[in-house]
Amino acid sequence: MKVLVVYCHPVPESFCASVKSTTVEALTKAGHEVDLLDLYEENFNPVMPVEERRIYNEMTSGDQCAYPEHVKRLMAAEGIVFVYPTWWYGMPAMLKGWLDRVWIPGVAFNISAEGGVITSNLRHIKRLGVITMCGAPMWWSYFVGHPGKRTILRGVRQLIAFKAKSFFLAHYLMDVSTDKTRADYLGQVRAKLAKF
Amino acid sequence: MRVLVLHAHPVAESFNGALFRQICESLTKAGHEVDACDLYEEGFDPVLTKQERLDYHDLAKNTVPVQSHVDRLMKADALVLSHPVWNFGMPAIMKGYIDRVFLPGVSFRLEEGLVKPNLQHIKKVAIVTTYGATPMRAFLAANPPKRFAMRTLRYLCKPGASFSYQALYDMNRVSLEGRNQFLSRVGELMARF
Repeated sequence: MKVLVVYCHPVPESFCASVKSTTVEALTKAGHEVDLLDLYEENFNPVMPVEERRIYNEMTSGDQCAYPEHVKRLMAAEGIVFVYPTWWYGMPAMLKGWLDRVWIPGVAFNISAEGGVITSNLRHIKRLGVITMCGAPMWWSYFVGHPGKRTILRGVRQLIAFKAKSFFLAHYLMDVSTDKTRADYLGQVRAKLAKF
Repeated sequence: MRVLVLHAHPVAESFNGALFRQICESLTKAGHEVDACDLYEEGFDPVLTKQERLDYHDLAKNTVPVQSHVDRLMKADALVLSHPVWNFGMPAIMKGYIDRVFLPGVSFRLEEGLVKPNLQHIKKVAIVTTYGATPMRAFLAANPPKRFAMRTLRYLCKPGASFSYQALYDMNRVSLEGRNQFLSRVGELMARF
């Protein structure tokens, strides 16, 4: 399967970067064709500019996206895995901006001209994974409603295949993590992706 | 009260732009001191850099890159967020404000790896937002931006602070009358803020 791995962390020597490498390695080993998108490395600009917003509702194709190459990669993907640190219970601004600027009308969904009804356009994506590191404990993340998890697993999920398989794998309490918890987590990532 | 109004929308003449102006106008009229922060207008950069990430827990220098925003936040008695919801979250520029300005020592303190609230000078919060999604679709997605506002933000501010979440759903289909009604409701809310 063609899997797009979307990675977003500013520090190349971070634990998140090792998780990304493990992700790519495990998917490749399982026989998938991996396409890695490293948003910080590409210096992706997450701020939707005024000209783009003005035509947003009338957009009908990926050609109107400022990152047409990203659209092609999204349209070619059969699976998508997000790897990022959870900041303030959500994805980093850069990753949110990627959704804002690439998951646009004519690409991720269509807005009907008559009624303004939203219909999905990414039904070719059949697998979805979220691999993330949270500073907060698990119980607290759920208590505050886990908004980042929901933006992807419920929001983004509405746009992909109806019966898409998905998973969410978090390392909680990152600030008090140890070599052992991190190694265990990398093991979990490998195990999860072997069955992706 | 001193009210910090944070606004995120690229188009000044948009409905969200109108809401922002209405918020500031009604608050000023009601006698509040308004600090209007239009993130797009001010050219705010939402990308947390490598250096910022490395200095994140260093209380001596973590605020330096965003010092003016930190000062404005710490001086505020109340907070109003004005932004659309895009793809079930706030626009990147607003999320980046949270990422970069809500630092350790600013919005929270880390004690033994756990977060303790530090915005207890903020006694009142309102969120004014619009969704392309219908209420049903937002509900099915468990409304992440609402959860961020009503749970996380609420935890950081003064215990018992009043919170108000004003949302207009299904923006692509709502009538002019519906928009006007929402605009006046927001104006009234701010007049009594």
